[in-house]
Amino acid sequence: MDRIGKCFKELRRQKKMAFMPFVVAGDPDYKTSLKIVRELVKNADFLELGFPYSDPLADGPVIQRADMRALASGMNSDRVFRLISKIRVFSDIPITVLAYANLVYRRGVDKFYRDAGRAGIDAVLVPDLPVEESDKFVKAAKKYGIDSIFLVAQTTTKARMKKILKQASGYLYLVSILGVTGIRKDIAPETLGLIRQLKKLSKLPVVVGFGVSNARQIKILRKAKADGVIVGSAIVKVIEKYKRNPSRAIKEFIKGLN
Amino acid sequence: MPETLMQPLTELERAYVKFKKDKKTQAELKSLIKDFVGRPTPLYFAQKLSKKLGQIIYLKREDLTHTGAHKINNAAGQALLAKFMGKRRVIAETGAGQHGVATAAAAAKLGLECVVYMGKVDMGRQAPNVLRMKLLGAKVVPVASGSQTLKDAINEALRDWIANVSTTHYLLGSVLGPYPYPAMVRDFQKIIGQEARKQILQAEGRLPDYLVACVGGGSNALGLFHDFLPDKKVQMIGVEAGGLGIKSGKHAARFFGGKLGVLHGTKSYVLQDKFGQILTTHSISAGLDYPSVGPEHSFLRQQKRISYAYITDREALAGLKLLSQQEGIIPALESAHAVAYASKLAKKIFHGKLIIINLSGRGDKDLEAIRDLGVIHG
Repeated sequence: MDRIGKCFKELRRQKKMAFMPFVVAGDPDYKTSLKIVRELVKNADFLELGFPYSDPLADGPVIQRADMRALASGMNSDRVFRLISKIRVFSDIPITVLAYANLVYRRGVDKFYRDAGRAGIDAVLVPDLPVEESDKFVKAAKKYGIDSIFLVAQTTTKARMKKILKQASGYLYLVSILGVTGIRKDIAPETLGLIRQLKKLSKLPVVVGFGVSNARQIKILRKAKADGVIVGSAIVKVIEKYKRNPSRAIKEFIKGLN
Repeated sequence: MPETLMQPLTELERAYVKFKKDKKTQAELKSLIKDFVGRPTPLYFAQKLSKKLGQIIYLKREDLTHTGAHKINNAAGQALLAKFMGKRRVIAETGAGQHGVATAAAAAKLGLECVVYMGKVDMGRQAPNVLRMKLLGAKVVPVASGSQTLKDAINEALRDWIANVSTTHYLLGSVLGPYPYPAMVRDFQKIIGQEARKQILQAEGRLPDYLVACVGGGSNALGLFHDFLPDKKVQMIGVEAGGLGIKSGKHAARFFGGKLGVLHGTKSYVLQDKFGQILTTHSISAGLDYPSVGPEHSFLRQQKRISYAYITDREALAGLKLLSQQEGIIPALESAHAVAYASKLAKKIFHGKLIIINLSGRGDKDLEAIRDLGVIHG
């Protein structure tokens, strides 16, 4: 199956950088969220969906508010899995989900990955799971044919990178800033160095996220030979603004990024 | 914990090991603890209360430390550690405001910039402490996300730390969070038990039968209990906030309504729904209003070394009144939970048992909240 590997291969052939939008599953509610995804898949290579969580400590205010909107509308893990099964009816796009550790832990690590596999999820990122504690998660992921995405940050030492590379599959998620998710204007110079360093250490595609929100940043990342870029908060902000019918505004926004 | 903080946590762990071995810094810490914090604190025989309850009751007077609660033991220690690591800025979360005030005071003393995150709800109910922090030169940032209490203040402090980790030390206030915090904070607080053990042996010539302390994150409790852990005959009870009662769902009694989970970088008992969303808690006392509990408490409970109980808001208020009127000591609402439990315990056990209550803080900060509850008449 390996949708992620195939997709990167195809993009490499076309010499294109992958575009991966992030939204919170169920923001602002289940129905609208499904509509938003329908729009996103038309213009994206990959999709990243967040499980709404009460305490998203790696996220800035924009995504925190999206989590709260989704939870207030009655979203929960069961419904996220259901939403993704629905997406699979009309799209074969590779899907990564972001789920905070307690959501995985509470469901039962094995059960979470099993349900993820059944729903048609390709990769799972647990943003508050340190690589040292990840054995159980990675084992379950492998069992159900799911990739384990890990974050690499500016503070990650070479020794830590090596540990991460032993566990990671699918692609590496490079955190482009020292901080939580949100909208930033620039790309930190350290990020470009890290892309080079990671490419030397590993064959895995390097995808850059956190703070990416405009066309200029994307151009810089393309030049630095990043394999993909994740845009989250900037899109979520559009959803926040056009709550009931954000599809057109999202389309316009994505157009502006290229 | 997010990857960005993993290396800094390793560095903190290493720096802490060095800090403990550095003779000059340890001498400085000793003098800070003695002259700035005001230790040792008395172990006070509560004569009238003892007579009323038919037991021999001592209070460990952490309320008499500088800034009025045990929090300063840890804040002074970690502020010195921050300086030792070459950080120029400290950040902290606070619930009741006692840890915030202690951090602000220690930062002022040691010349560090200080930012304190505090839930908006807590800022309202602990207003005097907000003023104290500001006067001590700290910036107090209101946290409006989530339940606007301690848990959300920790989220916000962690987010700040992620962004400013090279210049900033996160001065965490309880035996919570990722390693090395639970162990480090306990180390800075265990002086409470070290002193109490010596003092009770001197006063009574024997070890106590019971130790009672309130448990939010659990730093004052672990501070008192730690040195007594090998004394198998000493029974220890941690008292959680029962809020409006367990059935109401409005409480912070993790061992009575929680399940194992992961919050703020530690695995422990957490109040959560069946999907793992963290629940909002309720307690009359801001310092106990937290959905998880220090991991060492979970461990010691599993080992059956410490037992846990809860006290409701109403019982805590009665405890506060009892101590104020019997001994002339106004306890913090947090510590009032321990007092209330001890008076309940006193009725269930044989007379003449020796009980130490950790009086973790003083109640001045709560006067406004207490007045609004109509506890003070006339």
